[in-house]
Amino acid sequence: MQTEPNPGLFKRNAPIAGEADAIERAKKGDPDAFARLYALHKRRVYTLCLRMLGNVSEAEDMTQEAFLHLFRKLDSFRGESAFSTWLHRLTVNLVLMHLRKKGLQLVSLEETINPSEEDAPKRDFGARDTQLSGSVDRVTLERAVAMLPPGYRMVFVLHDVEGFEHNEIATMLECSTGNSKSQLHKARLRLRELLRDPQNLQPENRLMEASR
Amino acid sequence: MKDLASINLDTMTPAEFEEYLPELFEASGGSISSDPRFANFFRQHANCAALVRDLETIAEQAKSLFEPMGDPSDAVWSNIASKLKDENAGNDEDR
Repeated sequence: MQTEPNPGLFKRNAPIAGEADAIERAKKGDPDAFARLYALHKRRVYTLCLRMLGNVSEAEDMTQEAFLHLFRKLDSFRGESAFSTWLHRLTVNLVLMHLRKKGLQLVSLEETINPSEEDAPKRDFGARDTQLSGSVDRVTLERAVAMLPPGYRMVFVLHDVEGFEHNEIATMLECSTGNSKSQLHKARLRLRELLRDPQNLQPENRLMEASR
Repeated sequence: MKDLASINLDTMTPAEFEEYLPELFEASGGSISSDPRFANFFRQHANCAALVRDLETIAEQAKSLFEPMGDPSDAVWSNIASKLKDENAGNDEDR
Protein backbone atom coordinates (compact mmCIF):
# COMPACT_ATOMS: atom_id res chain seq x y z
CA MET A 1 0.00 0.00 0.00
CA GLN A 2 1.36 3.41 -0.98
CA THR A 3 1.09 6.21 1.52
CA GLU A 4 1.43 9.90 0.99
CA PRO A 5 4.60 11.43 2.43
CA ASN A 6 4.11 12.83 5.89
CA PRO A 7 3.31 16.51 5.36
CA GLY A 8 5.29 17.28 8.48
CA LEU A 9 4.31 18.27 11.93
CA PHE A 10 2.53 21.48 12.72
CA LYS A 11 4.83 24.45 12.76
CA ARG A 12 4.44 26.12 16.11
CA ASN A 13 7.92 27.41 16.68
CA ALA A 14 7.86 30.41 14.42
CA PRO A 15 10.47 33.09 15.18
CA ILE A 16 9.34 35.75 17.65
CA ALA A 17 9.76 39.44 16.91
CA GLY A 18 12.98 40.74 18.45
CA GLU A 19 14.25 37.25 19.26
CA ALA A 20 17.08 37.11 16.71
CA ASP A 21 18.45 40.44 17.88
CA ALA A 22 18.21 39.36 21.54
CA ILE A 23 20.08 36.12 20.74
CA GLU A 24 22.94 37.95 19.04
CA ARG A 25 23.22 40.51 21.83
CA ALA A 26 23.00 37.82 24.53
CA LYS A 27 25.81 35.92 22.78
CA LYS A 28 27.96 39.05 23.25
CA GLY A 29 27.15 39.06 26.96
CA ASP A 30 24.38 41.66 27.09
CA PRO A 31 22.45 40.82 30.30
CA ASP A 32 19.35 42.73 29.20
CA ALA A 33 19.19 40.67 26.04
CA PHE A 34 19.38 37.45 28.05
CA ALA A 35 16.61 38.75 30.32
CA ARG A 36 14.59 39.37 27.16
CA LEU A 37 15.12 35.77 26.00
CA TYR A 38 13.99 34.58 29.42
CA ALA A 39 10.87 36.74 29.23
CA LEU A 40 10.06 35.42 25.75
CA HIS A 41 10.50 31.74 26.56
CA LYS A 42 10.03 31.21 30.30
CA ARG A 43 6.35 30.17 30.11
CA ARG A 44 6.82 27.50 27.46
CA VAL A 45 9.97 26.11 29.05
CA TYR A 46 8.26 26.03 32.45
CA THR A 47 5.14 24.40 30.99
CA LEU A 48 7.25 21.75 29.27
CA CYS A 49 9.08 21.00 32.54
CA LEU A 50 5.82 20.91 34.47
CA ARG A 51 4.19 18.46 32.05
CA MET A 52 7.22 16.20 32.08
CA LEU A 53 7.73 16.29 35.83
CA GLY A 54 4.22 16.90 37.19
CA ASN A 55 5.63 18.91 40.10
CA VAL A 56 5.79 22.71 40.39
CA SER A 57 8.90 22.86 42.54
CA GLU A 58 10.91 20.50 40.33
CA ALA A 59 9.59 22.25 37.22
CA GLU A 60 10.84 25.60 38.54
CA ASP A 61 14.23 24.09 39.39
CA MET A 62 14.54 22.62 35.90
CA THR A 63 13.41 25.89 34.30
CA GLN A 64 16.21 27.59 36.19
CA GLU A 65 18.70 24.92 35.09
CA ALA A 66 17.52 25.16 31.48
CA PHE A 67 18.15 28.91 31.31
CA LEU A 68 21.51 28.64 33.09
CA HIS A 69 22.45 25.95 30.59
CA LEU A 70 21.17 28.17 27.78
CA PHE A 71 23.40 31.01 28.95
CA ARG A 72 26.46 28.74 28.88
CA LYS A 73 25.59 27.10 25.55
CA LEU A 74 24.13 30.03 23.64
CA ASP A 75 27.29 30.42 21.56
CA SER A 76 26.68 26.98 20.07
CA PHE A 77 23.25 27.99 18.68
CA ARG A 78 23.79 28.28 14.92
CA GLY A 79 20.20 28.86 13.84
CA GLU A 80 19.87 25.49 12.09
CA SER A 81 16.50 25.03 13.78
CA ALA A 82 14.13 27.52 15.37
CA PHE A 83 15.56 28.89 18.60
CA SER A 84 12.55 27.66 20.59
CA THR A 85 12.94 24.14 19.14
CA TRP A 86 16.61 24.18 20.14
CA LEU A 87 15.81 25.51 23.61
CA HIS A 88 13.03 22.95 24.14
CA ARG A 89 15.33 20.11 23.04
CA LEU A 90 17.96 21.36 25.49
CA THR A 91 15.29 21.48 28.22
CA VAL A 92 13.98 17.98 27.47
CA ASN A 93 17.51 16.57 27.64
CA LEU A 94 18.12 18.27 30.99
CA VAL A 95 14.84 16.97 32.41
CA LEU A 96 15.61 13.44 31.21
CA MET A 97 19.09 13.65 32.72
CA HIS A 98 17.52 14.84 35.96
CA LEU A 99 15.08 11.91 35.92
CA ARG A 100 17.84 9.42 35.20
CA LYS A 101 19.90 10.77 38.11
CA LYS A 102 16.95 10.15 40.42
CA GLY A 103 16.88 6.38 40.68
CA LEU A 104 13.16 6.02 41.28
CA GLN A 105 12.09 8.08 38.28
CA LEU A 106 14.57 6.27 36.06
CA VAL A 107 13.00 2.91 36.89
CA SER A 108 9.56 4.35 36.40
CA LEU A 109 10.52 5.80 33.00
CA GLU A 110 11.96 2.52 31.77
CA GLU A 111 8.99 0.59 33.05
CA THR A 112 6.62 2.65 31.04
CA ILE A 113 8.79 2.58 27.93
CA ASN A 114 7.97 -1.12 28.30
CA PRO A 115 4.93 -0.84 30.56
CA SER A 116 3.38 -3.62 32.55
CA GLU A 117 0.17 -5.24 31.29
CA GLU A 118 -1.67 -3.41 34.04
CA ASP A 119 -0.70 -0.03 32.61
CA ALA A 120 -1.17 -0.97 28.99
CA PRO A 121 -4.37 0.16 27.28
CA LYS A 122 -6.92 -2.55 26.71
CA ARG A 123 -7.85 -3.83 23.27
CA ASP A 124 -11.57 -3.57 23.03
CA PHE A 125 -12.68 -3.86 19.44
CA GLY A 126 -16.21 -5.10 19.34
CA ALA A 127 -16.74 -4.29 23.00
CA ARG A 128 -17.94 -0.89 24.19
CA ASP A 129 -18.54 1.45 21.32
CA THR A 130 -18.92 4.60 23.38
CA GLN A 131 -16.98 7.23 21.56
CA LEU A 132 -15.66 10.59 22.55
CA SER A 133 -18.08 13.38 21.98
CA GLY A 134 -17.02 15.59 19.08
CA SER A 135 -14.32 17.44 20.97
CA VAL A 136 -12.32 17.19 24.14
CA ASP A 137 -11.75 20.35 26.10
CA ARG A 138 -8.24 21.39 26.98
CA VAL A 139 -8.66 21.17 30.77
CA THR A 140 -10.04 17.64 30.59
CA LEU A 141 -7.28 16.52 28.27
CA GLU A 142 -4.69 18.15 30.54
CA ARG A 143 -6.05 16.12 33.47
CA ALA A 144 -6.00 12.91 31.49
CA VAL A 145 -2.43 13.51 30.30
CA ALA A 146 -1.34 14.03 33.91
CA MET A 147 -2.73 10.56 34.68
CA LEU A 148 -0.68 8.77 32.03
CA PRO A 149 2.19 6.57 33.19
CA PRO A 150 5.43 8.61 32.91
CA GLY A 151 6.80 6.92 29.78
CA TYR A 152 3.53 7.28 27.87
CA ARG A 153 3.19 10.87 29.06
CA MET A 154 6.73 11.70 27.98
CA VAL A 155 6.26 10.41 24.42
CA PHE A 156 2.79 11.98 24.08
CA VAL A 157 4.00 15.39 25.29
CA LEU A 158 7.12 15.31 23.11
CA HIS A 159 5.29 14.22 19.94
CA ASP A 160 1.70 15.45 20.07
CA VAL A 161 2.21 18.58 22.18
CA GLU A 162 5.77 19.68 21.44
CA GLY A 163 5.87 18.42 17.86
CA PHE A 164 9.14 16.46 17.99
CA GLU A 165 9.63 13.74 15.36
CA HIS A 166 9.86 10.10 16.41
CA ASN A 167 13.55 9.88 15.49
CA GLU A 168 14.31 12.84 17.78
CA ILE A 169 12.26 11.31 20.60
CA ALA A 170 14.00 7.98 20.12
CA THR A 171 17.38 9.68 20.49
CA MET A 172 16.29 11.62 23.56
CA LEU A 173 14.68 8.64 25.29
CA GLU A 174 17.33 6.18 24.12
CA CYS A 175 14.78 3.85 22.53
CA SER A 176 14.00 2.80 18.95
CA THR A 177 11.84 4.85 16.59
CA GLY A 178 9.39 1.95 16.45
CA ASN A 179 9.19 1.97 20.23
CA SER A 180 8.44 5.69 20.22
CA LYS A 181 5.61 5.20 17.68
CA SER A 182 4.24 2.29 19.62
CA GLN A 183 4.36 4.17 22.94
CA LEU A 184 2.62 7.16 21.39
CA HIS A 185 -0.15 4.94 20.09
CA LYS A 186 -0.58 3.29 23.48
CA ALA A 187 -0.61 6.69 25.16
CA ARG A 188 -3.43 7.86 22.87
CA LEU A 189 -5.37 4.62 23.49
CA ARG A 190 -4.94 5.10 27.24
CA LEU A 191 -6.13 8.70 26.96
CA ARG A 192 -9.16 7.52 25.02
CA GLU A 193 -10.02 5.13 27.84
CA LEU A 194 -9.62 7.88 30.42
CA LEU A 195 -11.62 10.42 28.43
CA ARG A 196 -14.49 8.08 27.57
CA ASP A 197 -15.37 7.71 31.22
CA PRO A 198 -15.26 11.05 33.07
CA GLN A 199 -15.29 9.16 36.39
CA ASN A 200 -11.69 8.22 35.61
CA LEU A 201 -10.72 11.86 35.95
CA GLN A 202 -12.20 12.39 39.42
CA PRO A 203 -9.60 13.54 42.00
CA GLU A 204 -9.66 10.27 43.98
CA ASN A 205 -8.96 8.23 40.85
CA ARG A 206 -6.22 10.64 39.81
CA LEU A 207 -4.48 10.11 43.13
CA MET A 208 -4.75 6.34 42.82
CA GLU A 209 -3.48 6.42 39.24
CA ALA A 210 -0.56 8.69 40.12
CA SER A 211 0.52 6.36 42.92
CA ARG A 212 0.69 3.33 40.59
CA MET B 1 5.39 -2.49 14.07
CA LYS B 2 3.69 -3.66 10.84
CA ASP B 3 4.92 -2.89 7.34
CA LEU B 4 2.29 -0.87 5.49
CA ALA B 5 3.27 -2.47 2.18
CA SER B 6 1.58 -5.68 3.30
CA ILE B 7 -1.86 -4.14 3.97
CA ASN B 8 -4.78 -5.74 2.13
CA LEU B 9 -7.81 -3.57 2.78
CA ASP B 10 -10.22 -6.19 1.44
CA THR B 11 -9.25 -8.88 3.91
CA MET B 12 -7.92 -6.88 6.88
CA THR B 13 -9.49 -7.67 10.24
CA PRO B 14 -10.00 -5.06 13.00
CA ALA B 15 -7.18 -6.66 15.02
CA GLU B 16 -4.81 -6.39 12.05
CA PHE B 17 -5.94 -2.81 11.50
CA GLU B 18 -4.96 -1.96 15.07
CA GLU B 19 -1.50 -3.37 14.50
CA TYR B 20 -1.06 -1.12 11.48
CA LEU B 21 -2.47 1.96 13.19
CA PRO B 22 0.73 3.47 14.67
CA GLU B 23 2.40 3.38 11.24
CA LEU B 24 -0.76 4.53 9.48
CA PHE B 25 -1.05 7.57 11.74
CA GLU B 26 2.57 8.44 11.13
CA ALA B 27 2.33 7.95 7.36
CA SER B 28 -0.94 9.84 6.98
CA GLY B 29 0.05 12.83 9.07
CA GLY B 30 -2.79 11.95 11.45
CA SER B 31 -5.81 11.99 9.13
CA ILE B 32 -6.85 8.45 8.36
CA SER B 33 -10.62 8.91 8.73
CA SER B 34 -10.80 11.16 5.66
CA ASP B 35 -8.65 8.83 3.52
CA PRO B 36 -10.96 7.41 0.81
CA ARG B 37 -8.93 4.19 0.66
CA PHE B 38 -10.30 3.27 4.10
CA ALA B 39 -13.90 4.34 3.47
CA ASN B 40 -15.15 0.83 2.70
CA PHE B 41 -13.27 -0.72 5.62
CA PHE B 42 -14.69 1.86 8.02
CA ARG B 43 -18.22 1.26 6.70
CA GLN B 44 -17.81 -2.42 7.55
CA HIS B 45 -16.10 -1.84 10.92
CA ALA B 46 -17.79 1.00 12.76
CA ASN B 47 -15.72 0.46 15.92
CA CYS B 48 -12.50 0.94 13.96
CA ALA B 49 -13.92 4.13 12.46
CA ALA B 50 -14.86 5.38 15.95
CA LEU B 51 -11.44 4.49 17.33
CA VAL B 52 -9.66 6.39 14.55
CA ARG B 53 -11.90 9.44 14.96
CA ASP B 54 -11.23 9.47 18.71
CA LEU B 55 -7.47 9.15 18.32
CA GLU B 56 -7.48 11.91 15.72
CA THR B 57 -9.48 14.12 18.09
CA ILE B 58 -6.99 13.48 20.89
CA ALA B 59 -3.98 14.19 18.65
CA GLU B 60 -5.60 17.34 17.28
CA GLN B 61 -6.61 18.65 20.71
CA ALA B 62 -3.12 17.91 22.07
CA LYS B 63 -1.84 20.79 19.95
CA SER B 64 -3.80 23.17 22.18
CA LEU B 65 -1.69 22.03 25.13
CA PHE B 66 1.33 23.69 23.52
CA GLU B 67 0.07 26.98 24.88
CA PRO B 68 1.68 27.67 28.26
CA MET B 69 -0.10 26.81 31.51
CA GLY B 70 1.40 29.58 33.60
CA ASP B 71 4.48 31.48 34.66
CA PRO B 72 7.27 30.24 36.86
CA SER B 73 7.53 32.23 40.10
CA ASP B 74 9.65 35.40 40.19
CA ALA B 75 12.16 33.52 42.35
CA VAL B 76 13.26 31.53 39.28
CA TRP B 77 14.56 34.61 37.47
CA SER B 78 16.07 36.00 40.71
CA ASN B 79 18.04 32.77 41.14
CA ILE B 80 19.15 32.74 37.52
CA ALA B 81 20.25 36.39 37.66
CA SER B 82 22.09 35.81 40.92
CA LYS B 83 23.94 32.72 39.61
CA LEU B 84 24.89 34.47 36.39
CA LYS B 85 26.21 37.41 38.41
CA ASP B 86 28.32 35.01 40.52
CA GLU B 87 29.60 33.23 37.40
CA ASN B 88 30.53 36.51 35.73
CA ALA B 89 32.28 37.70 38.89
CA GLY B 90 34.23 34.41 38.96
CA ASN B 91 35.18 34.81 35.30
CA ASP B 92 36.40 38.38 35.92
CA GLU B 93 38.58 37.19 38.82
CA ASP B 94 40.12 34.49 36.61
CA ARG B 95 41.22 37.08 34.04
